[in-house]
Amino acid sequence: MTKNLRVKTSKFIDETYKVSFKFNGKTYYGFKGDTLASALLANDIHLVARSFKYHRPRGIMTAGSEEPNAIVQLHKNTSRTEPNVRATEIEIYDGLEASSQNCWPSVNFDIGGINNFLSPVLPAGFYYKTFMWPASFWEKYEYFIRKSAGLGKSPSTPDPDIYEHRYIHCDVLIIGAGISGVMAAKVAAKNGFKTLLIEEKNYLGGETIYQDSEHFKINNQTSGSWLDKEINEIKKIKNLEIKTRTSVAAFHGYNFLLARENLTDHLPIEQRNGKTRQRLLKIRAKKVITATGSLERPLIFDNNDRPGILLSSAINKYASLFGVACGEKNILFTNNDSAYETAANLFKKGISIEAIIDNREEIDSKLIKESEKNNIKIYKGYTIVDTYGYKRINKISIMQLSKDGQKVVGSKILIPCDCLGISGGWTPSVHLFTQSGGKLKFRDNDQVFIPNTYPSDQISIGSCNGDFTLDEILSNISKTLKEFLGINKTGYENLEVQTSFNKSKRNIWLLPSDKIVGKTKSFVDFQNDATAKDIKLALREGFRSIEHVKRYTTTGMGTDQGKLGNMHALGIISEISGSKMGELGTTTFRPPYTPLTFGTIVGRNVGEYFDVYRKTPMHDWHVKNKAKFENVGQWKRAWYYPKNNESMHDAVQRESKAARDSAGILDASTLGKIDIQGTDASEFLNRVYTNAWSKLDIGKCRYGLMLNEDGMVYDDGVTTRLNENHYIMTTTTGGAATVLGKLEDYLQTEWPELDVYLTSVTDHYATISVCGPKSKKIISQVIPNLDLSDDNFPHMSFKDTKINEIKCRVMRISFTGEQSYEINVQANYGKSVWEKCMKAGKEFNITPYGTETMHLLRAEKGFIIVGQDTDATMTPIDLQMNWIVSKKKYDFIGKRSLYRSDTMRDDRKQLVGLLTENPDEILEEGAQIVANFNKSPVEMLGHVTSSYYSPNLKKSIALGFVRGGKNMMGQKLIIPMENKKINVTVADPVFLDKENKRLNA
Amino acid sequence: MFIIHCPYCGEREQSEFKAGGEAHISRPKQPSELSDDQWAEYLFMRKNIKGVQYERWVHTHGCRKWFNIIRDTSNDQIQAVYKMGEKPPIK
Amino acid sequence: MLNYSNPITEQKSYSGLQLKEINPIMKLIVRGKKREFLSAIGQSLNLLLPNEPNTSTRTDKLTALWLSPDEWMIYSNETSNLDNNDYDIENILNKKISKTNLGAITNVTDQFVLINLKGDKIYDLFETGSPFNFNKFRNKVGSVTQTILAKIDVIIQNTNQNEVNLFVRRSFSQHLFSWMNDSASRL
Repeated sequence: MTKNLRVKTSKFIDETYKVSFKFNGKTYYGFKGDTLASALLANDIHLVARSFKYHRPRGIMTAGSEEPNAIVQLHKNTSRTEPNVRATEIEIYDGLEASSQNCWPSVNFDIGGINNFLSPVLPAGFYYKTFMWPASFWEKYEYFIRKSAGLGKSPSTPDPDIYEHRYIHCDVLIIGAGISGVMAAKVAAKNGFKTLLIEEKNYLGGETIYQDSEHFKINNQTSGSWLDKEINEIKKIKNLEIKTRTSVAAFHGYNFLLARENLTDHLPIEQRNGKTRQRLLKIRAKKVITATGSLERPLIFDNNDRPGILLSSAINKYASLFGVACGEKNILFTNNDSAYETAANLFKKGISIEAIIDNREEIDSKLIKESEKNNIKIYKGYTIVDTYGYKRINKISIMQLSKDGQKVVGSKILIPCDCLGISGGWTPSVHLFTQSGGKLKFRDNDQVFIPNTYPSDQISIGSCNGDFTLDEILSNISKTLKEFLGINKTGYENLEVQTSFNKSKRNIWLLPSDKIVGKTKSFVDFQNDATAKDIKLALREGFRSIEHVKRYTTTGMGTDQGKLGNMHALGIISEISGSKMGELGTTTFRPPYTPLTFGTIVGRNVGEYFDVYRKTPMHDWHVKNKAKFENVGQWKRAWYYPKNNESMHDAVQRESKAARDSAGILDASTLGKIDIQGTDASEFLNRVYTNAWSKLDIGKCRYGLMLNEDGMVYDDGVTTRLNENHYIMTTTTGGAATVLGKLEDYLQTEWPELDVYLTSVTDHYATISVCGPKSKKIISQVIPNLDLSDDNFPHMSFKDTKINEIKCRVMRISFTGEQSYEINVQANYGKSVWEKCMKAGKEFNITPYGTETMHLLRAEKGFIIVGQDTDATMTPIDLQMNWIVSKKKYDFIGKRSLYRSDTMRDDRKQLVGLLTENPDEILEEGAQIVANFNKSPVEMLGHVTSSYYSPNLKKSIALGFVRGGKNMMGQKLIIPMENKKINVTVADPVFLDKENKRLNA
Repeated sequence: MFIIHCPYCGEREQSEFKAGGEAHISRPKQPSELSDDQWAEYLFMRKNIKGVQYERWVHTHGCRKWFNIIRDTSNDQIQAVYKMGEKPPIK
Repeated sequence: MLNYSNPITEQKSYSGLQLKEINPIMKLIVRGKKREFLSAIGQSLNLLLPNEPNTSTRTDKLTALWLSPDEWMIYSNETSNLDNNDYDIENILNKKISKTNLGAITNVTDQFVLINLKGDKIYDLFETGSPFNFNKFRNKVGSVTQTILAKIDVIIQNTNQNEVNLFVRRSFSQHLFSWMNDSASRL
């Protein structure tokens, strides 16, 4: 049977709009404006979850993001289901489905509850101690532990929602729209600052907005109605952007903040389609004002975790904001004045208060008088020693506190109730401040940590700065803002403020009991089931640092990040260890402040936009001709062109044969191209390449090898001398950007005296490479007026020419060992020139080939690919490329390193060719190479870097690195594979046409 | 995420830049005259201190110019920015 | 005649935003440090290269963008002929700058794709993928910035109230255009 616990209408709830939702499979009703928590409470449901370790019944404890207990699983469907959502934050909508976590078979009957009775044998560190030995048993333990670990279920199918990122640059960012935040926003915006105000709830005004008590007045209006007018005013200010339902997750250095904006989570599912669900705001603010408020502290006593026990301020909020009574027989337990405010508000709403247990001896006489008038009995100097009721609190027992507060005296009094509000004073929310690098100080008189030194241009105001009363907040805010924003007036100088509460508080971190501590369950961290007893045990076992105690007991490690209990843990440690709170410090508050979904973090970087891709000018042609693509850097490169369901192997064999037998055509547009100009261009090339450049004739091309300063091969490519002071360099596809960066680095920092300018022209040109014995015939048809005779246009030279009226450059260079022509034409004409070549080559069976065939063809010639055959540990000498290293040049990048004792060793790994005993056996790239199996461990001599079946040689060929391989020609080695050993012979890496006859064939 | 004041383009987000290691290590003018140890000192040895550090940065996604910054690694505060070839403005 | 295949063939329109490629536009990178370099450019083209960072200058025919202390992009304001890629301006500068060793002239006509954006939602679009602070930029016609948009290097010039020219390397242009359309469809 459910009761209706709605009290007087609240303006924040729309009672004309009934919302139906399901909780644990049962249908309930709430109103528009309710959170899941307020709607459940209105239906008299407190028990919503089981605790993590002991599976104790738990209820809603707070009314905000600090909630440790009431975390639920949302949605049933496998793509949208979301674990660990706080019932206190979910706005209900029609069709909402939520269920309890951490219990089986149901929240009402949970088998894991047995852990509660086993708890004497499940102390802190139980898992560490028990499952350490015997080590071989770990696998068996793990199976059971994994099953009981973790919170909730994650979705198992792709997320249908859309997420987004947005960068925001503002002058002033204000975090939190309570009274302080609203006032600060108005002052900042009115003074011309581009201002952003962020609030995690769906309304502005924080705790003040529902305040209509006679105790708090501003300019003779209740503080709630005064603030309401201010809010209406700021909504009209143009340069103020207000974001509600937005939670700041992280506050980094240089005032860089991340926030999550919730856009559709409060809408019925069918209204969300096509809309962005959440947005990650990347905020860069010149100034930050933190106004995150404070959280009420619980009190730590035996069995302080039963359903029906809430923070006193939460009971007040449910009554005043949502119009919901949390119980019919309410008791409040406090150590300060704020519980009396709850009492007064509940009385006004017609909710009865049975008693207030106040651990103080001295209480303001006004409060006592008012309470007596409202028929509330006050127990002065008392504490709760125990509570009763399994799934809902039904009574408490109280005893008198000794004068020093260390023990209880007298006799026990039992008081029945169905709801208990607890108030242990307030803790400033300094999480974001400390994330930013801010340092705290401890204020002894009310036992709070408050901001001390700021690492960036920021300030904390209001109760997160330790100003808890209305008059403190209002009197400080004007002064602080003037100084911080550098303005003369705030307009808040002459507010008339009336507050009737004072700050007296009797702080006892762990309240005494008539039982010994070992027999109590006084919860400090509710989510992780860490009790005062556990903390004492940790200290007894020698842990001293707060960070160690945290990890040993798991205090503060849940999804709530210890927002409620951390202070008490510190307090208890401080009392036992005898160290001062200020010296003890706090644990580190890490981002995110509240959990973020992966979707928000990822934003639009999914699917097509997961990574950037680059396309060549001929891309569409490759697609049309059924090319398979491979990713090279960010480029989409044609890999091979299968014909009639050919396999990759068959396609590559066909393409490779055609390129040597008649003609092949390759899209080489992805090669990096750098335009080099200046009077010192030749000198510059001398310094960056291993070979000499000064004597290269204009019109000629030369292959160059570039090293790192450590002597290792970095990049290679052909560079062409266009003019006396003008070269064009080509780089590898993947190295283009880093080579340009490295060259700029040397020019700007080491050799600023050189007159050289570098400009990337990679994208300006389409590069079409036509190779094979018929290539000359094809080019002569495409460019009829170009003299292609070997005398006029020899290998390693270029010609500027025109195709129709379009200027282009043709280079005669070869990466395949065949006669080849490379046409470089402005990119937007590339596809047309390619098609012209295809047309001209038709009679010669011109065959488009992709990167795989290119790799095969160059391997036949023993040409290396930087990045495939090299891995930044190979010198040109290791590559047997001594011929390209100039001995005459005084210096070039990496030269000195080639003469280090290590790089001159003979037994370095050196590039060799490898031929398999069985010519049909193709080696695996990456396979290890060994010589001898008799010695253990088996010595690894090297590895295979490139391996293909050559259709032109009709055998398998491979390149690899072998220790001392240079002197091992003809020697037999072994490639051990999973189920066989392959015999190979070390060979010359040039397998085909050693005399380079084909270049001029 | 720092905000870096590029000496040419002004204030920009860190994501537009790349770090290039310790500053004020110039390439020896006559490498061939150095011993292996001296060359190794230039090539491999870098400071990594908690405190004020001189660093090279490049505005990769902007003007592509290299420059130096002085940064306190203990709190990430950038104390000065200056062009290549210039002396550090503070010591 | 060779066919001309520019990468972005569609024009797209959204409420508050239109995007299209403009072509063919001659584009040159000019680089130099000497004072004579600047004056030679000025005399040859009747165009002063901007020396203030992040700005541009223009004449009837040409616009010059500041890219770095020794680097500018000059582009033609009007489209050129499709069946010819011999550009007078390039030839003049080659003669006056390259041949005299005053600096470097590099043709980048097809290196960069010019995408023109119009509408009051341009900066809302940029905010979804660029870390650059456009607060001042958007209010100053002629401003130029080089920054990142959707992880891609771009050059953006404020040509008018609610109008910009965006330059992106050709190979990235289709990806960026698709990304911009996806973003624009959600603004």
